[in-house]
Amino acid sequence: MTGERMKKNCRSILIAFGTAALFCMPVTAPAQDLKQSIYQVGTLKPVDSVLKVRVGERAPDFTLRAVSGGTVSLKDYAGKKNVMISFVPAAWTPVCSDQWPGYNIVQEEFERLNTVLIGISVDNVPTLHAWTRAMGSLWFPVLSDFWPHGKVADTYGVLRSDGTSERAIFIIDTQGIIRSIDVHDINARPPLEDIIGELEKLNK
Amino acid sequence: MNRLVLGIIPLMLIVPLILWASGENQQYYKVIGQLRLAVPTDAGDQSYLGIRQKSGQFGLVDVDAEIIIVEIFSMYCPHCQRHAPEANKLYQEIMADRSLAKKVKVLGIGVGNSPFEVKFFRKKYSVPFPLFDDANSAVLNSLTGIQTPTYFGLKNDGRTLTPFFMQQGPYDDAKVFLQTVLRKAGAR
Repeated sequence: MTGERMKKNCRSILIAFGTAALFCMPVTAPAQDLKQSIYQVGTLKPVDSVLKVRVGERAPDFTLRAVSGGTVSLKDYAGKKNVMISFVPAAWTPVCSDQWPGYNIVQEEFERLNTVLIGISVDNVPTLHAWTRAMGSLWFPVLSDFWPHGKVADTYGVLRSDGTSERAIFIIDTQGIIRSIDVHDINARPPLEDIIGELEKLNK
Repeated sequence: MNRLVLGIIPLMLIVPLILWASGENQQYYKVIGQLRLAVPTDAGDQSYLGIRQKSGQFGLVDVDAEIIIVEIFSMYCPHCQRHAPEANKLYQEIMADRSLAKKVKVLGIGVGNSPFEVKFFRKKYSVPFPLFDDANSAVLNSLTGIQTPTYFGLKNDGRTLTPFFMQQGPYDDAKVFLQTVLRKAGAR
């Protein structure tokens, strides 16, 4: 085979691959950024920590960096609003990645029930920034419990042995007292009706 | 030689891809074709779907329509939330065309969603077509790996369901999407 002929064949192969790639594109194209970026963790031990707080006790205060800038403290809401803290295990993992987007369309329910929602993860701010941006625009603050690593999660007793947190919900009333705790099976999402039901109890 | 290369290489790449995709679709089609859903309690939904029984479960074959479009969604999926108005437009496009209103019906299944969550989603986005829950995640678990939203098209002659269409991910334009579904069903 001459050099010229080889060049022609190589060009043909490149064109053929290019054509094939063009045909393949629509099959793989759907822009599902968040879903496609999820790291599959498999089924995990449902709960891997021991609670350090109880219903009826004062909720330990904390101050953490917010993804949107600045800091947020639990005491900021004392005497004004109920607070629901949603700990999620880790960014870019299943279940977590569709838990907060669900809460994102329930803002009016939280407002009706005089409650602020605070999302907390042990991931650092840049990771949480990228992850929450992929969810869209969240109306509630997302806080980073990255350093000292998982300190707030540990204070509440929801830091797992691998450094992630439990999928846990703490509901705290306007007086700063813990009124409900749900350390949920990490592999499943807490049903919305359970959350709304607990918040409604605070307003009775 | 050149023509041969040009012809064979794309085929070598595309054919396995098509076979893989159609195999995956067949697996999903089987699940959708065998779905059993709770008869809706809402009289309007019952009437729209043409379900004769008032309680228990029904199959999609019982829906009074020649073409059924099923939307697989989740209240927790941001794509489904953003796409909800466009899904509503699909229903409106169908209802606005007299020749289609009774022939083509739409319904949605909130995979992994509780009745409360589905009801909330429906109210939030004023969804006009029936939505069904999947409280025990049976549908979610049987459609392993499926994206939300996903759309299925099924032909129905009252005895047999023939799935003919599946699209994972949202569509851009309800009108164009409807025409695509009708064309694939051989109805246009």
